[in-house]
Amino acid sequence: MLKALKIAWREYKATVRTKGFIIGLIIAPIFMSGSGIAIKLLEDQVDTNDKRVVIIDHSNLMADYLIDLAEQRNQQAVYDQENGKKISPAYYFEKQAPATDIAAQRLALSDQIRAKELFAFLEIGPDVLHPGDDRERRRIKFHGENTAMDDLRGWLRRPVNDRLRRARLAEAGVKEALMNDLFLWINVESMGLISVDESGEVKDAESTSELESLIAPLIMMMLMFLMTMMGATPLLNSVMEEKTQRIAEVILGSVKPFHFMIGKVIGGLAVALTGAMVYITLGTIAVNRFGLEDKIPLDVLPWMFLFLTLQITMMGSAMAAAGSACNDAKDAQNLSFPVMLPSMIPIFIMFPVIKEPLSAFSTWMSLIPPFTPMLMLLRISTPMAVPVWQPWVGALGVLFFAVFSVWAGGRIFRVGILLSGTPPKLSTLVKWIGRG
Amino acid sequence: MNTVEIEQVSKSFGKVIAVNELSLNVPNGSIYGFIGPNGSGKTTTLRMIMNIYYPDNGMIRVLGKQVSGAASDRIGYLPEERGLYKNMKVREMLRFYGDLKNGQNIPAQVDYWLERLDLTNWADKKVQTLSKGMSQKVQFIATVVAKPELLILDEPFSGLDPVNMDVLKDAILEMQQAGTTVIFSTHDMAVAEKMCDFIFMIFKGQKVLDGTLTAIQDKYGSDTIRIRTADGRSVLSNLPGIDKINDFGRQQELRLRSGADTQAVLAEIMQRTSVEKFETVQPSLHDIFVRIAGPEAEEATHA
Repeated sequence: MLKALKIAWREYKATVRTKGFIIGLIIAPIFMSGSGIAIKLLEDQVDTNDKRVVIIDHSNLMADYLIDLAEQRNQQAVYDQENGKKISPAYYFEKQAPATDIAAQRLALSDQIRAKELFAFLEIGPDVLHPGDDRERRRIKFHGENTAMDDLRGWLRRPVNDRLRRARLAEAGVKEALMNDLFLWINVESMGLISVDESGEVKDAESTSELESLIAPLIMMMLMFLMTMMGATPLLNSVMEEKTQRIAEVILGSVKPFHFMIGKVIGGLAVALTGAMVYITLGTIAVNRFGLEDKIPLDVLPWMFLFLTLQITMMGSAMAAAGSACNDAKDAQNLSFPVMLPSMIPIFIMFPVIKEPLSAFSTWMSLIPPFTPMLMLLRISTPMAVPVWQPWVGALGVLFFAVFSVWAGGRIFRVGILLSGTPPKLSTLVKWIGRG
Repeated sequence: MNTVEIEQVSKSFGKVIAVNELSLNVPNGSIYGFIGPNGSGKTTTLRMIMNIYYPDNGMIRVLGKQVSGAASDRIGYLPEERGLYKNMKVREMLRFYGDLKNGQNIPAQVDYWLERLDLTNWADKKVQTLSKGMSQKVQFIATVVAKPELLILDEPFSGLDPVNMDVLKDAILEMQQAGTTVIFSTHDMAVAEKMCDFIFMIFKGQKVLDGTLTAIQDKYGSDTIRIRTADGRSVLSNLPGIDKINDFGRQQELRLRSGADTQAVLAEIMQRTSVEKFETVQPSLHDIFVRIAGPEAEEATHA
C-alpha cells in the first residue's frame, strides 16, 4: 500500500505543480457561473430603440387608456432619473380605427412591421369586457416579429386586465374609491424559522430570498462537480497515456495493478481535496468580508468532504478502469461520456431537487449510490430539514458502491492495462470484471 | 542454485497459446539469452516471470519464492517498449522508479548511474528533451537503480548506436560480475553468442533450444562451410552436396547436406574461382535460429 501512496504522491505533484491546475482553479468557477455572470453583466444591455405600436380597438375601451398609460410610463421609466441616460425604450401607441376589410388592414400593418416602420400592432376583440361564446371576439392579439419574448407584451398584461376589471366593477356599482384597495397586491414573504439563540432568547425569523435558498446548494453541487472534473476525470486520459506510452508496464514491474490504480485514485482525490480546500478557504474569507457568515450552511461542510471523498473514489476508479481499456484518444473520447453520466444526471435534475428536496423523487434519486454524493449534498444544503437518517444511509450506500467500483475497476484495470488492440466497449469491460 | 525455475508453465490469450508447457531453469549469476521470432512467446514468458501476467498452468519460482501476486522489488525489469514520464525531470523520475522498488540509498545510486552512463548534464532536464539513445540509457538506469538481484531486459540494445551499446553491455557484465543474474531477450544473434552463458529459444510458444552455445552447436555438428572467394555468391550456385547458402556479402556460409564430402565441394568451387578462405565450422546461432524458425525468423533477425 506504501507503493500506492508513492504513485499517488507523484500523480498529485504532477497535477498541482502545473500551470494548468492553477489556471483551472481560477477559470473553472468562472466557466461554471459564466451564464449567471453574463446575465448580470449584460442586464443593462437592452434595446433602447423606441417602439411604435398600432392599436385596433374593436371594444373602444382600451386604446385611449393604454396611450395615456404609456405616456406616463415613458416619463418615468425611459431615462435614468439620476444621470439622464436612456435605459429603456419609449412605448408609443397609436389608435387606428378598424377597417371594413380587416384582413387587408392586418396585412398592411404586418408589412409595415416587416419594413421596420412599426414595432407591433395590438388588436383588441369587441367582447373583451364580457366574453361570450365566440372565442374570436374576446381575444386580444399582439402581432409582431418576436412577440413571445418581448417585454412590451409583458408590460401590457397588467394594464389591460386592470382596465377590464375596473370597467366590470364600475358596471357592478363599485365606487371608484374602493377600487384601489381591491387592486392592492400584497406579496407573500418567504421567511425562515423561529429559533433560540445561544443565550436562550427566542430569535425572530429572518426573511429569505429565492437567491439565498438557491445559492448554497448550487455552490455545493458545482463544487462537487468541479472537483470531480478536476480529480477524477483526468484519470481517464492519464491512465490511457501511461498505457500507450508503456509507462504502465514499467510501473507494473514494481507494483501490483490494483495498487497502481488505487495510487492513481488517491492522487486524484488529493488533487480534488486541494481544490476544494482552496475554494472553501477563499469562500470563507469572502463571506466573512461581506458579513454573510450566517447564510453559509457550515454544518454541511463535513458531509461535503465525506461525499467528495466517496465521489472521487467511485468516479476515479471508473475513470482509471476506463482509461486502462483505451488504446488512443478516440477510445477515451468514446468512453468518457458513459463514465461521466453518473455525474451529469444530478446536474440535469438539480432544479427539481432544489425546489422539492423532500419529494419522493428527490429522496429516491439521492439514495441511488452513483448520484448520492451530489444529490444528497444538494438536498442537505437547502434550508429544508432532510431526515437525519437519509445522509447516513446514502453515505453507507455510496461507500459500498465505491468499494465495488474500486474492486471492479481493479479487475478491469488488470486486464486492460496490458491489452492493446481491443477497442473498449462497455460489454467488454463487464466481461473483464468477471474475468479479472 | 537457480534464480528462476519455470515448471510446465502455459499461458493463452483467447484461443492463442502464447506459451505451452514451458520448463526452464536460470542458474544464479548467469546471463541467459532469450531468442525467438516476433510473437513466439518471449515477452509473455518475461512478463510471467515478472508476475505481470499470471500463468494459466504450471509454477514459476523466482529468487527462491513462488511467484504469487506480488511484483518483486528484487527484480529489475526493462520492458521492450520504453516507458518514461515525458514531463518529469530525469533525476526526479529515476528517484521515483527507485523508490517504487523500495531501493536503498536511491539518490546516490541515481547520481552514480547518471555519471556512469554520461547523463549527469541531463539530470535536471525533462525526459521529453532526450534523444532515443539517451532515453534508453535512462530506462536502463531506472531498471538497475534499486540494485536488483535479477535483471530482466527485453531487447535492451535495440536502437542503440555501437558506442552506447558497448556502454550498456559493460554495465550489464559489471552487474553480472557483482552477482546479478541477467535474463535478456534479443534478436541480435551475435550479441547472444558473445554475451550469454545460456541460450533459450522459444518458437510458437514451445521451447526449442536450451543450453550453452557450445552444447547447442554440438547438436548440429560441423555441417557448415564458411568460405570467401574472388567472385562471391555468384559462383556458388548449384554446388553438389549443398542444401543452403547464406550470403553475408564478402563471405558466405554453405550448409552441407548430410553425408556430403567437404573435399568434393572444395574441389568443385576451386574449379569455378579462386578460394581465399575455406573452413568447416559449427553453424552460427543465426543459422540455427533460421533453420528452426524458417522464413519467419529470417524476417525477425533482419528486422
